[in-house]
Amino acid sequence: MQGQGANTQSAGARRPGQLLQGWFDARGRHVGNWAFVLNRISGLLLVLYLVAHLTVLSLLAVGPGAYDTFVAAASHPLVILFDVGLVGLLVYHGCNGVRLILLGLGWGLDRQRELFWGLMALGAVAWAVAGWVLVTHLLG
Amino acid sequence: MAEQTVAPKAQEGLRDKAAWAWVVQALSGALLMVLAGLHMLAQHFTAKGLLRYEDVVAWLRRPAIFALETAFLAAVLAHALAGVRAVLLDLGLDPAAEKRLTRALSIAGAVAFAYAVALTWSLAH
Repeated sequence: MQGQGANTQSAGARRPGQLLQGWFDARGRHVGNWAFVLNRISGLLLVLYLVAHLTVLSLLAVGPGAYDTFVAAASHPLVILFDVGLVGLLVYHGCNGVRLILLGLGWGLDRQRELFWGLMALGAVAWAVAGWVLVTHLLG
Repeated sequence: MAEQTVAPKAQEGLRDKAAWAWVVQALSGALLMVLAGLHMLAQHFTAKGLLRYEDVVAWLRRPAIFALETAFLAAVLAHALAGVRAVLLDLGLDPAAEKRLTRALSIAGAVAFAYAVALTWSLAH
């Protein structure tokens, strides 16, 4: 299993389309390559969420009416389901980040596959617990 | 520039920009594991349901919460913008474009941080 990213050396300028094509090219791929691609995708989705989150928090400057109207809408079960998915992205990104830090420091280089799946198993448990807490807490 | 996905070797030190990028990404990521957990606990699990306006303001008036949210904001912005930079560098930018990108993202991060801290401060005081 390759522990590094799919493309750690860029060879000349590439268009965004070529970059994405490279991410999803399944030929000769190992688990580590897919982990890298998923890390990039989850990271970009989390950046989009961060922008949306900070924008929504700007409603606090508008006043209680605007913010509380948003809070009422955000309490809808579909939004909570979205939140559970978001926590899943966070957990995957975090677990894979821990893997990259460990590998970067030279730990577990000879046990990369076990490290990946071990962290994914831990992440799945963490996601299930966090999802359950979120749903029961927000839905009452 | 190549994205560095491994820690800088001891003999290389932190002279290389890619090594600095790795350290920023790793440190902010590790910090986020703790701060994101505390943020979730403080903002989302202390009361039943989502916090309403008055609850948010009351929370932000607590110095410890204000400090936590400010640290969380700094770490998340550093991590997110370093990640965006790494993805864009995969496009194979030349050194001048890379420099412009780094400068633009740094300015964007500083503006976002200043705006969010000013907003939080104005709510809390």
